[in-house]
Amino acid sequence: MPASAPASELVLPPQVWRGRELAQAQERTLPSGHAALDAQLPGGGWPLGNLIEVLQQEQQQHVWQLLGPALAQAMAARGEPAVLVGAPYQPFGPALRAQGIVPERLLCVQADRASARLWAAEQSLRCADVCAVLAWLPQARSEELRRLHLCAQATEKLLVVFRPVPARDQATPARLRLLVQGAEVLELHILKRRGPPLLQTLLLPAQPERLSALLAARKSRRRSEPALPAWSGSHVLDRTATLAG
Amino acid sequence: MYWIALQPSPDEDRTAWGWRGLQFTPRVAFADEALLLEAGASERLFGGRKRLLRCLLKEGCELRFDAWAAGPTALVALALLRMKRMGLQAPALVPDDLPLSTLTAAAPHLATLERIGCTTFGQLRSLPRAGVGRRFGAELLAALDSAHGERPERYPWLTLPPEFDQKLELPALATSAPDLLFTGQHLLTRLQSWLQARNLGVLALELEWTLDLRRLDGKPLPPNECIELRTAQPTQEIRHLRRLASEQLARTTISAPANALRLRTLETVPWGGVTTSLLPEDNKPGEKLHQLVERLSVRLGEENVTLMQPVQDHRPECMQQAMPARGAVDAVDAAIANRRLAVTQETPATSERSAAGVRKAHRQPPLTESLLPPWILRAPLKLQVKGDQPWYQGPLQLLTRARRLEAAWWDAQAAEPVLRDYFIARSASAGLLWIFRERLAADQARARWFLHGLYA
Repeated sequence: MPASAPASELVLPPQVWRGRELAQAQERTLPSGHAALDAQLPGGGWPLGNLIEVLQQEQQQHVWQLLGPALAQAMAARGEPAVLVGAPYQPFGPALRAQGIVPERLLCVQADRASARLWAAEQSLRCADVCAVLAWLPQARSEELRRLHLCAQATEKLLVVFRPVPARDQATPARLRLLVQGAEVLELHILKRRGPPLLQTLLLPAQPERLSALLAARKSRRRSEPALPAWSGSHVLDRTATLAG
Repeated sequence: MYWIALQPSPDEDRTAWGWRGLQFTPRVAFADEALLLEAGASERLFGGRKRLLRCLLKEGCELRFDAWAAGPTALVALALLRMKRMGLQAPALVPDDLPLSTLTAAAPHLATLERIGCTTFGQLRSLPRAGVGRRFGAELLAALDSAHGERPERYPWLTLPPEFDQKLELPALATSAPDLLFTGQHLLTRLQSWLQARNLGVLALELEWTLDLRRLDGKPLPPNECIELRTAQPTQEIRHLRRLASEQLARTTISAPANALRLRTLETVPWGGVTTSLLPEDNKPGEKLHQLVERLSVRLGEENVTLMQPVQDHRPECMQQAMPARGAVDAVDAAIANRRLAVTQETPATSERSAAGVRKAHRQPPLTESLLPPWILRAPLKLQVKGDQPWYQGPLQLLTRARRLEAAWWDAQAAEPVLRDYFIARSASAGLLWIFRERLAADQARARWFLHGLYA
């Protein structure tokens, strides 16, 4: 009886992947705009038509830095709006425009009750003209998320749900689950993906390039001039543009 | 000639059936209990008799009927319909073997005719004409001739009212608004027939119910109450209107039990039809954006479903305005349509160029805007000050120098000019914040600090 071929030479069907490799994406993906993150995601980007869960302590933090490039790309591709369900604050148009997102196409839906938020998210997913749904669902239960997930699978939309960190102990139907921490640097743990568990933390910039440049410039200047008293008054205007450029 | 006779069920749906029939032929009339349609001229348009019947009776039809029959003349069709309803087999020889009991004009003379042994059309026709005319009147002869197609048939043809305005009695008193929906559905179905026949799309509707009581707890009540349903794009689709009505009725309370419901159109526009496309990306399943926005607005309140509109102003809180999405959604719809058009016309080269343009625009955003925070508070939040240091979930460390803003001194409406110094500050728990200090405040010694935005 001939020996069976070594496992590495076997061609596996796309639904099956080896434990040490990333799965091939079954669905379309959207590049996240961060090369380090793309390298760790199956298919090289956010999976479309699947639930993506982002856990973080402060609900407003790192949203645009993490998702901004992908969102800008999705919205620019077909001119379709994105829906924000239960966003913690109002998005600020001029700043988002600088990131490439058209703020006039962000549909903000506010609802206090958790059930109303879920309903709004589900209805948005069923709409043909929406390209992405971002929902803040702190109290959602696993079965409610599963319902959203199933709803998303019927479409090719980007669905991201933001939840607090304690939710990491609960089971999730999400295809991709991320834990986001850190203030100065965006520390990203991939808790769940189709592939081997990722032990190290991914580090992404926590601010847009220009802002980081400005802050770095300020920091170095302060270090070089330690004698300068801390903010006593405001008789000098900051020429942010020259510093940042 | 091809006549169809149809018995609507229940009888109140007669008018709706008549309107539906008008889509297929202009010759629709009521005769006795049934509806008559002369469809000979439109047979070819609908692809033959079978298809025409399928369109009329089955496809997309929410109205119901008892029975239908077809024949070369109206009276034959009617007679066949009556036989069908009595459970009799249609005779082999039409119209000669049809029983006289199915002819309306013969009804007063049935007993006499039966006694002389005359029970079918053919038997009556074989009697001498002059005698029959003298004995039974000219009407019976005229009817008989019409049934045989030897005399033109004339009916008062149905025409459509210019406005839809119909009232229905409720089967039982409705004590809550959702109870009205069942009857409302009937009215909406009729509305659909009317819209299709007139080739109109509806924009606004009024649903009005009559209250059964004149006064309640000593307080006089208005005779009726109403709600208005509006949709952004003209529609003939009743499903969307029904959903809107049910959402709106679920939020409405009626002040007393109601006994009748009335539906009328407020605004209609010519219906352009639904544009269909062969491209797979245009045929995504799901509803339209404006339908989504309307349903969300109706259930959650218009102020909770918003779109941002940019405004030219230097004050950050005035740089954008949250508009109710219901009124603003048309612009987004137009943008989608334009984009689709552009995509279909784009060659690979131009798409590459435009993508490059997008990237270029990406790389060099306006200087000041890229330093603004992506989240903003609706109203600045006053911060605590502890020993000259602003405090938000802990002490704040200022990271930049002041960015000075002086605006609105020209604005007569503003209470006071905006004189602020903006800083980027770091909080241990909340990350980077955008805060400002009021300059030239009345009390200079204790500066007032406000939180205005958050970096994400």
